[in-house]
This record gives sequence, structure tokens and C-alpha cells, in this order.
Amino acid sequence: MPAWSRGPVDMVPGVVPVALLVARTDTHAVLIDGLLVYPTGFDFDLAVRRHPGLPRDHPDPRVWHELWLEVRFADGRRADNGPGPWPHPDDDRPPDPPLLYQSVSGPDGGHVWLWGLPPPGPLTFACHWPAEQIPPSQAALDAGLVLAAAARAQTLWPDPSPP
Amino acid sequence: MSASEPPELPQEPPEVVYRRPAWVEPPADLVPGIVPVELILARTPQRAIGLSGIRAYPTGFGCTLHLRLREDIPGEQSNFGVFNMFGDGVDPAGEFADYYLRFGVGFADGRKATNLNQRHDFDEGPAPDPPTLWLVRWEGYDRLAWEVDVWVYGLPRRGRWPSWSSGRPAASPSPGSRSTPAWS
Repeated sequence: MPAWSRGPVDMVPGVVPVALLVARTDTHAVLIDGLLVYPTGFDFDLAVRRHPGLPRDHPDPRVWHELWLEVRFADGRRADNGPGPWPHPDDDRPPDPPLLYQSVSGPDGGHVWLWGLPPPGPLTFACHWPAEQIPPSQAALDAGLVLAAAARAQTLWPDPSPP
Repeated sequence: MSASEPPELPQEPPEVVYRRPAWVEPPADLVPGIVPVELILARTPQRAIGLSGIRAYPTGFGCTLHLRLREDIPGEQSNFGVFNMFGDGVDPAGEFADYYLRFGVGFADGRKATNLNQRHDFDEGPAPDPPTLWLVRWEGYDRLAWEVDVWVYGLPRRGRWPSWSSGRPAASPSPGSRSTPAWS
């Protein structure tokens, strides 16, 4: 897999001790948590929670295809999960960050990788889900927490060659 | 009832809302408190296991295991047996294969939970005594890296957890007192 599509395999990430409630209606809540940071970007969980009283036979939505998600940096750069041109996996040239890439998707959300680190300032997560009546919503955290976690990521085998 | 009135319809039974037992997964209506734990549990010249990001709820906690191979070793199982939670990693004698990752948590009071005694009858019988441990998500890259999310039902009492093999916790674990309701 290309380097832009996931964290470095020879590192253990730093942790951002934050769980963001990005949107909440009477029936659904959208959380961002599990932020695990590497020097090249960060993983997070997009978690869709349904109100416990919501009947289980409520059709499971296709979260990644229906819920619009955008991550905004303080310098104006942004990445979203909309359809768009994707870099070819065999292309040696990494795409310009930031880039959102989802590796696992299910009815309760998914696991998302963001290629690129934010500059200092607010790091904003925004979502909108018309099919579930979630209006445009957003929440932000201090990107300094992400940068500090990136600095704490640990290289597992600092010496360059295997024994 | 007169002939002009419609017959009385039988009352529909109340809708049953299915919920998986609390010991199988985190509660759906809470935002977890995050404990910024960043540990390397074990490291050899060829393999390493990290643990990060404890997500704490009043009923238990989740975390992520980072399973790493330094390089692909031909002929060896590269996946640490993480796909074998349904028994494929157990030989006919009931022994776990050598490549099967044994993982567990131990509390200061002596209670512990491991991935060696998995239960699959979620809806039958009483809830097990906490703690119990489940692997709830796994994802791999290039045969060298696996990310595994773990759910531990049950919380430790206050006090230090048993020390891991190595690592540096960024903070002492604090049970789910910081989790907040998604719906109040």
C-alpha cells in the first residue's frame, strides 16, 4: 500500500486524548475519536451512534457514501470524502496533503486515515447527513494536540536494517 | 359493535428494540473519556506489539493493538492469529497454535481477561463476570502491520495496573469518569 494511504508500519502512534462530538440530533450522534497520530498523518474513527431507542430494523445507512465529512486545516486547506480523482496506488508521487482515505467502513462508521498533518491552529471536523436529517455541523480541536502526538510516535526499530 | 364499524384490530405487540449485551461492545449513548496511553508492550528484532488510546466508559474500555512484523517471513503466519478468534488457531487437542497471539489485561486486584477464552453465545445465559476481553475490529496492511481494536468489559479499581513489558504511559489510566452522554 502506498505511504499516503496509511501510517508508517514501523511506528506506534501518539494519541490525541480527545473525543469530539461533531453532530447530535434526536436520533443520531456523530463522533470523531481514536485519533492516532504519525509524522505523516493520523488515523481516526468516524463513529455513528444511533439513539438506543431507535428500532434496530431502521435501515442501516451507507455511512461513508451518505455522510459528508470534511477536515479543515487552519491555513484553509481541506479534505473531504466526496467523490473525486484518487491518486493511483502505483504512482510514486504522493498526493498533495491533506487527503482523506477510508480503510474500513460499516453501518456504525469507519476507520479513516488523513494523509498530512495540520498546521498550528484549529483543526475542524465538519459533517452533513441529509438522509438522516443531520444538518451541517462541526467541531474543532487544537491542532497542537495532534502535532504533539506526532512528536511522540515511536519508531519500533530505529536501526535501519533487520538482523 | 354495529355493522358499520370496522372490526377491532388485534393490538400490535410493542416493538422489541434489540441491543447487544453490554459486555460485548461499548455503550452506544456515551462519548468515551480518552486516556492517552502509548505503549510498546513487546519488541523483538522481528516483531513488535504496541497499545494505544484507551477509550474508557463506565462499563469498560477499548484500546488499539498495533501488531507489527519487521519483514515478511516466508512460510510463517504473518497475522499473529488475529483472524483465528473463531477457533481456527486451535488444533484438535484444544491447544492454541504457536503463532496465535496471547493477549490479556490484568487488574491490580488479581482479576484478568484474555483472548483465550472467547464466548460466542452473546444472547444466551447470564453476562460473564467482568473483566472479559473481545477483539472487535482488525485491519491489516502489506502482511506487516495489523491494527486490532479490543473491548474489555469491566473496569479496574483505582491503583496502578500491572506493569507491561515496556513502554511509557502518557498518563495513569483513569476509569470512565470522563465519559459523557451523547443524549442527556
